[in-house]
Amino acid sequence: MKTLITLSWRNIWRHPARSGVLLAAVMAGLWAGVLTVGLVNGLMHQRIDYLIESEITHAQVHHPEFLAEGYSWLYLPDHEAISDWLAQDARVRSFTSRTLTDGMLQSPVKTAGVRIRGIDLTTERQTTNFHENLIVGDYLDTDIRNAIMIGERLASEHNVEIGNRVVLTFEDVENELISASFNIVGLFRSASADYDQRNVFIRSDEFNALLSETAVYHEIGIMLTDQALAGELVDELNAAFPNIHAQTWRQLSPELSMMVELGGVMVVLITVIIMTALAFGILNTMLMALFERMREIGVLISIGMSRGRVFGMIMLEAMMLTMAGAVGGMILATLSINYFKDRGLNLEMFAEGAAQIGWDHIIYPSLAMGEYLAILAVVIFITLVASVYPAYKGIRINPLDAARDA
Amino acid sequence: MTSAKTSVMTIVRTESLSRVYNPDTVPVHALRDVSIEIDEGEFTALRGPSGSGKTTLLNMIGGLDKPTEGKVFINDHEISNMKDGARIDFRLHNIGFVFQHYNLIPVFTAAENVAFIMMLQHRNKREIQERTDKLLRQVGLGDRQDARPAQLSGGQQQRVAVARALASEPRFILADEPTANLDTEAAMNLLDIMEKMNREQNITFVFSTHDQRVIDRARRVITMVDGAISQDETQHQS
Repeated sequence: MKTLITLSWRNIWRHPARSGVLLAAVMAGLWAGVLTVGLVNGLMHQRIDYLIESEITHAQVHHPEFLAEGYSWLYLPDHEAISDWLAQDARVRSFTSRTLTDGMLQSPVKTAGVRIRGIDLTTERQTTNFHENLIVGDYLDTDIRNAIMIGERLASEHNVEIGNRVVLTFEDVENELISASFNIVGLFRSASADYDQRNVFIRSDEFNALLSETAVYHEIGIMLTDQALAGELVDELNAAFPNIHAQTWRQLSPELSMMVELGGVMVVLITVIIMTALAFGILNTMLMALFERMREIGVLISIGMSRGRVFGMIMLEAMMLTMAGAVGGMILATLSINYFKDRGLNLEMFAEGAAQIGWDHIIYPSLAMGEYLAILAVVIFITLVASVYPAYKGIRINPLDAARDA
Repeated sequence: MTSAKTSVMTIVRTESLSRVYNPDTVPVHALRDVSIEIDEGEFTALRGPSGSGKTTLLNMIGGLDKPTEGKVFINDHEISNMKDGARIDFRLHNIGFVFQHYNLIPVFTAAENVAFIMMLQHRNKREIQERTDKLLRQVGLGDRQDARPAQLSGGQQQRVAVARALASEPRFILADEPTANLDTEAAMNLLDIMEKMNREQNITFVFSTHDQRVIDRARRVITMVDGAISQDETQHQS
């Protein structure tokens, strides 16, 4: 085997320029591919982290029917017991209770359906970073009574601004219709224009005063010390409190979960596309090398080298040449990813467009070890596929061609 | 037929060997009913004009080609009906080849070229090293072991080829026009080496050639014309 490896390696370098060009192409291709994958990955993780940290949190607890129905009387039973349970769990970094219901927002211009979110300012700040979305005014931390914070887009649609009043109408826990006037104290802009149009924020104590005689909560958002713990935590919560429904962020937001899955597929997909293009280069180089050495390979078969070994030798040449380039490309890509990992790649020219769809224009690329290995597996697979034909041609060589005079 | 050869082992035997190329289009009869025997220790030359069938016969004996009709036996093993893989393995262990164009592996050194065939035979490293060293010294290239073929003259390359052919300890060596590309001095030097090995180690050599220098040194000369043996004579060396 060592001899075969030596022979294959030296065969590669018979034509340093030709092999060097392929090596450089593989290196450049892999560098670009891996960096692209790292950027796509980083972009997706930033998006997922943003949504988890600003809104969804790692896990949430609801009344089993609340998410489907949205009625105010579907509030959490055992809220205090659940809060105590969470407060004592070391895996829980922080949690916040929210009072929610669907209702109508009425302005002098129009009326629109919204989800009214009653939040506790202190615990919400500790649990999420939604307060960072505030673009003008106050984050409800004002002395003004019945304060409300609405999305910038919603304000624009209703032609209202800070200082104006809007009326919220909703059903209380007794199924009675309640209307109350709220003062706009702040405008926010989150990553999702749709979210901004459909959600308004008020203080939970004021909300509860209108909604029920006692404080009621419809949702508990939980941030954990490690998001991987979410699955086991919700299982334990559901077991401990059979009347509630705890869910992980993946269960709450299948589209986010799909984004994570998509990230994994993108790694393979981008590598497959790049390697497929490079496969033709590998095929071409290996065929050229083979046609130049038909006579020599015939001699090897003549003197007793099995066709299996000839096949292995050609495959090995392609594999070593490609892997040398692939490893080089991946090292370059790793260096690039590490460089931009903390600094971020600033795509300022796309900043406006990216903001419109809720994406950040500074991308922090990231790639996990498993993804590097997936890329390597794709490289190996495509190289094997690309070198099968030259290797097959190699074993079809008739040794008589070698014995024949030139 | 075998009565006179009771003490000498027959290495190569062909029975009514025929080879027809392009049988369905324009048939070319490269060999016609060739039956020969070559004994251990022979130093035999196959001669004849171009197209006479000497290389085709050499290829048949070497298991590189299959006859249209007839049989080839090497040491009583019929190789003409062996499958491709079996024939390759048989060649590895039983037949040494020397080609007109040397056909050394250009990326290997002289020593690696010689050692390679023994590696294919899965011999141990020490044995390979010792035998490589010995063979290269025997062909007068003990000091050029690390030279690549491109750094050697034609004669030196052909001597490496002879060492390579001998490395697997074959039953016999087939040499196709081994001196055709060599000047007189290199050719005579190569013939001296092969003749010495034949004489001292009883190694069997079969050449296809039209080089009179080789024919003059052969002890048996088989002349071929139009794919058939026209003359088979034993020569006495002076």
